[in-house]
Amino acid sequence: MIENRRFGNLSAHLVLIVGVVIVAFPVYLAVIASTHSADTIANGQLSLLPGGEFVENYRRALFIGTSRTTRALVATMLFNSFVMAMAIALGKIAISLLSAFAIVYFRFPFRKVAFWAIFLTLMVPVEVRIYPTYAIAANLNLLDTYTGLALPLIASATATLLFRQFFMTVPEELTEAAQIDAAGPMRFFRDILLPLSRTNLAALFVILFIYGWNQYLWPLLITTRDDMTTIVIGIKKIVATHDALTEWQLAMATAVLAMLPPVAVVIFMQKLFVKGLIETEK
Amino acid sequence: MADVQLADVKKTYPGGFTAIHGVSFAVPDGGFCVLVGPSGCGKSTLLRMIAGLETISAGDIRIGERLVNQLEPTERDIAMVFQNYALYPHMSVYDNMAYGLRNLKTPKHEIESRVGEAAQILELDTALLSRKPRQLSGGQRQRVAMGRAIVRKPKVFLFDEPLSNLDAKLRVQMRIEIRRLQRRLQTTTIYVTHDQVEAMTLADMLVVLNAGRTEQIGAPLELYERPATLFVAGFLGSPPMNFLKGMLESPNTVRLDDGTAIACEAGYAAVQRGTRVVAGVRPERALVGPASEGLVMKIDLIEELGVGRLLHGQLAGAPMTVAIGPDQQLPGGEAIGIVIPADAVHLFDAESRKRL
Repeated sequence: MIENRRFGNLSAHLVLIVGVVIVAFPVYLAVIASTHSADTIANGQLSLLPGGEFVENYRRALFIGTSRTTRALVATMLFNSFVMAMAIALGKIAISLLSAFAIVYFRFPFRKVAFWAIFLTLMVPVEVRIYPTYAIAANLNLLDTYTGLALPLIASATATLLFRQFFMTVPEELTEAAQIDAAGPMRFFRDILLPLSRTNLAALFVILFIYGWNQYLWPLLITTRDDMTTIVIGIKKIVATHDALTEWQLAMATAVLAMLPPVAVVIFMQKLFVKGLIETEK
Repeated sequence: MADVQLADVKKTYPGGFTAIHGVSFAVPDGGFCVLVGPSGCGKSTLLRMIAGLETISAGDIRIGERLVNQLEPTERDIAMVFQNYALYPHMSVYDNMAYGLRNLKTPKHEIESRVGEAAQILELDTALLSRKPRQLSGGQRQRVAMGRAIVRKPKVFLFDEPLSNLDAKLRVQMRIEIRRLQRRLQTTTIYVTHDQVEAMTLADMLVVLNAGRTEQIGAPLELYERPATLFVAGFLGSPPMNFLKGMLESPNTVRLDDGTAIACEAGYAAVQRGTRVVAGVRPERALVGPASEGLVMKIDLIEELGVGRLLHGQLAGAPMTVAIGPDQQLPGGEAIGIVIPADAVHLFDAESRKRL
């Protein structure tokens, strides 16, 4: 990259810009569409500049609902999605932290078996085990509950493996020093291991929150009541209408609103990400 | 304050590998014991067994008359300094030192005074107490690690090669500080190192380990002057002792393999004539003269140390190193004469490798 640097820079930028445009344009279009009236969109005369219906559209989407299509408010759906995503992310982190801790730091019978059992579940995603999972959730009366939304998605082999790898890089001397410093296993976990995993936790939280937020198939099965609809399902419901025009401006507003929480999480957590990259403590 | 006693301590790993083959020694109260030996001799394993970080396969370890075999590290009343310091990276220096005390439910004011005291003893600036370990230099980290051990006021300090991560200059300085600290606190100390200089300078009592067995136990000078085995003779001293192979011709003569003879102190009358022996000579005990005197040594390299010179070469078919003072003149030529005083010769049985 020493010769032709100017040309190299130029073409690299060009490729990046094209990429950004491809990714960003639909998003831009959604934002623009959510500021126009239903008629403008239906006419096919959507301009690329913002319209004047911003406040009205978002107010309707959030607090009034699209009476003809979904009967739930976007505010409710956002709340449902938020609860589900948080429960999945935090639940996954809690479970996988503890199981990784057990696998790395304790010598118990069938430890290897336990590890491989967790590892094997990597090969069985929700979609594969969806029928038995549904049956169990139904028998436990978990349909249309937050527990039902989150619980079956909480067990996570990926996060367990990630923490296992991380714990194995923590120097053994730290464990031994803690042992000599009269720290029992759980105190060691709380005082040493958790603070050291902070940046890993943040990264994983971002990924898992978005994973939880974007769940489609499972919420579609487990929830039937309108007030338990998650936002991803909600968008689908708004778009698919019978005997009526789709209110695209509201669909777009809902989509934009659905995007915000994951974006907020990424932006908020980015600081910790970067910190984690700069700090090489262990 | 307590003494430490090891009685026939063994360590066998589940795979069947035996790391420690029955080691026994006793460190008196307030003593400074150094476990020394080459890598893989089991010295760290032994220390970790004393600390309680490694289980004991057989034998007894007692700290102040109390059998500690089954006790957790915390209950043994010991403190350990690790080779890579093992400071908690996310805690401040103060918290690093206070952590163990907090876990033991020590009152807060007591923790404060003890940490303050330790910082003072170690000459750690109070401004450093709020820093994180990564903001400290190697020597400061080392001090914090020692501070963490001091605040516990343990019965025994255990050091696991604490100076190996420091540069040469700092190592010498910290070595002196550790020795001063131990004198001041009068705490029984067991210190592991592979560095024979550290071992010689620090120890009241030296335990030389080789392949999981004790080679010799005693005061450093005693081991230096009367090594019990070829291994100890070769391990202690820098540059190491020279070894010349030969056989015992008469109670005070050794016939070397090239036919030359050297005298040794009479006193080997009980040893059978013709026994194959190894004669050990410390580099600084051989005397240098013109080639016409004594044994002929061919020099192929001279190392200038400032405080003296090291002459490397061949003598009687074996590699030989001789140390001379800075002022001593070398006779010209590649060959010089070496006179070995009879009292400088250590004789070892070539077969059993033990001192005769």
